[in-house]
Amino acid sequence: MINLEPDEEQTEVGALARSIGEKVLYPAARDAEREGAVPKDVWHTVFETGLAMPVPEEHGGGGVPGPLAQLAAAENLAHGDPGIALAALWNGAAAMLIAEHGTPEQLAGLVRLATDPEARSAVAYHEGFGRGPGEYATEVHVEGDTVRVVGRKVGVAFAAVSDPLVVVGRDQVTGDVRAVLLTSADEGVTVDPSPGALALEAAQVGSVTIDARVPVSALVGGPGADGARLASTLQRLRLQTAAAAVGTAQRAVEYAASYATTRIAFGTPIASFQGVTFPLAEALMRIEAARLELVAATVAILDDPSADHEDAVAQAVGYALSVGAQSTRDSVQTLGGHGFIRDHPVELWYRSAATLSALDSDPARGAFQAAL
Amino acid sequence: MSYCFTLSKALRDHTEALREWSTTECRPYARQADIDKRRPDNWREILDTAPIALGRSDREEPDPLPEFEEGEWVSKLAFYEAINYGDVWVHPTLGGGIGHLVVKSMGTPVQIERWYDPIEAGGSTTGFALTEPGFGSDTSQVTTTATRDGDSWVINGSKMYCTGGAFAEYVVVFATVDKTLGAKGITAFVVPRDTPGFVVAKENEDKLGIRSWTTSELFFDDCAVPLENRLGWGPHGAEGAPGNGQGAALGALAFNRPNMSALGIGLAQASIDVATPILKSRRAGFTPQRWSAIEHDLEAMNAALDRGRRLNYLAQGRVDAGAPSRSLSAAAKGYVPETGERIIRRCMELLGPEGSSKELLLEKWYRDSKIIDIFEGSGQVQRIMMGRSLVGRLAG
Repeated sequence: MINLEPDEEQTEVGALARSIGEKVLYPAARDAEREGAVPKDVWHTVFETGLAMPVPEEHGGGGVPGPLAQLAAAENLAHGDPGIALAALWNGAAAMLIAEHGTPEQLAGLVRLATDPEARSAVAYHEGFGRGPGEYATEVHVEGDTVRVVGRKVGVAFAAVSDPLVVVGRDQVTGDVRAVLLTSADEGVTVDPSPGALALEAAQVGSVTIDARVPVSALVGGPGADGARLASTLQRLRLQTAAAAVGTAQRAVEYAASYATTRIAFGTPIASFQGVTFPLAEALMRIEAARLELVAATVAILDDPSADHEDAVAQAVGYALSVGAQSTRDSVQTLGGHGFIRDHPVELWYRSAATLSALDSDPARGAFQAAL
Repeated sequence: MSYCFTLSKALRDHTEALREWSTTECRPYARQADIDKRRPDNWREILDTAPIALGRSDREEPDPLPEFEEGEWVSKLAFYEAINYGDVWVHPTLGGGIGHLVVKSMGTPVQIERWYDPIEAGGSTTGFALTEPGFGSDTSQVTTTATRDGDSWVINGSKMYCTGGAFAEYVVVFATVDKTLGAKGITAFVVPRDTPGFVVAKENEDKLGIRSWTTSELFFDDCAVPLENRLGWGPHGAEGAPGNGQGAALGALAFNRPNMSALGIGLAQASIDVATPILKSRRAGFTPQRWSAIEHDLEAMNAALDRGRRLNYLAQGRVDAGAPSRSLSAAAKGYVPETGERIIRRCMELLGPEGSSKELLLEKWYRDSKIIDIFEGSGQVQRIMMGRSLVGRLAG
């Protein structure tokens, strides 16, 4: 029977994340951006909730919410602040990948990530060029006892300070997706000096060029890891990031709508003008559709993690990210001159959503469209 | 006369020289101007490198601004696009501002001689203070008051987004002399910067973009100016027919609207032109299908900007011909800005995560460009004006 409603766990986790987003992340958003790092107390609070660090209890973590609850957490943390939410989520991505695919030895290493809030880790998967996991050009050569990784990754969180830095590429013999445990400090890992970006500064995103050799034990899941399942987990990471864009869009629209009900022009709150409210209403329609598409793509992956989900994921992610950019844009527009100054947060959401839209965009999906 | 969609050779050569100059000499300072939130300290020396006349107000140039057969307003469009193609920091340094334009449209001959002519002859910058925290598009909501006290007008209130407000020689301040009159009670006052009670609450607002443009928050605290500082007045009171302050203010802005659209075209075109060679250098990394999509996007974006240019030239051509059209002006200002934003964003998307990094100026231009659909009549206001050309006052 068709059912498009979240279950109890998803609802509860979403509500918890929404509340933490509102009370903890939102007030710290400007500080995090200015410092290029999440304030320590905020980081610790988010860390302790376990919402962004999915490590099972038996490995020292706080337990792992279901994948759809994790998706809801990503959206609702970003509803508070996308910059802090994504810093936390991207930091937790390595643990998620290891928890789901790691060898017993690698699982034993999770306790450090789960218990030390100062630890930083990341999964380096984006390459630009619109490539999904099945197309990554990063080469993984398994050569006896060693693994050689060669490639270039962009949009890597905590690029300069991650341990582990999980680099994803393709096996040059089998074509399978592989993930390799490196660190930012490893020989052969060159991190470009980061010039900063339009937004999301707290995640310290950068580009990394890799030509490194490590023992074969660094292969996540070992030499026999299931490449298709690994790819499916990476697809879920992409969907989570896109969910953060949806949460950002939702928040921006709510904020702009609230402003429009109090701002008076031509004798009435501007919300009573269709020219003001309709763009927000359209944004909300898109947001609802985007959210369901992300859930649908996640469900499809969970139903058959061995299948190739690239098309559905790329569609869902591309749509959600463009909805994020367009909704935040329309929200700034609603506030007019007030939207353009930093006294209001919409300009931060506008920058954050556009940064996300450049992170994971496939030129062949979703062509440029003029506004008029 | 048959259609011609190209500028005269003289104007084309002039603006191509301007564009090349703004790109090579001015753009390198764009990042720092954004960080510092002001024009470069050596802006005069930078302007000195221009191979053509810019129409500077800070110093005499070897050659006067040439006149072109296209006429003043069409020429300005080409000028705005070309100079902003380098970056947005450049053109405000040429001086002027718009306060003195209001003096020209609302002032008495004596006021024009005192406050307009010297500026036009190469004086300093003038400020314009209309917007308040409580209103933007609806200019009838001015709450700043001007109260007659003997031989003075005493001004009280807050203003925001005053371009050049912190350093202008004087600011033209819109205030109401009688709230019961609504829009008709609003008029304009010349307030010199050194007037007691003229408070710069914030020299430069903390903005998403155009950070190098000084836009100030001003506060008027029992700020008294002589009677003759009210535009349309002399030392003994009103001279001539009472003007509509609000209408005059908007009149001063109306012809400038397509220029702002041209600014947006300049930024979007710059983004395409920065992104295109980088994308070409990375062509090998794209699948043929994706490369073909990129080529299609670049073509579509360039075509979209050409559509906007045509609307601009049509609107300003009418102004030059002495038959300005409010609806065409609204079309020109309403059409381009959001498309310009989308072009810059699409360029960032095509380049991937590095497209939004501060290594490139695209992220800055994405921030800068957002103001264009907001100031000098928002996109919504332009749509109302266009709608009124169809259905009259019912549109709103």
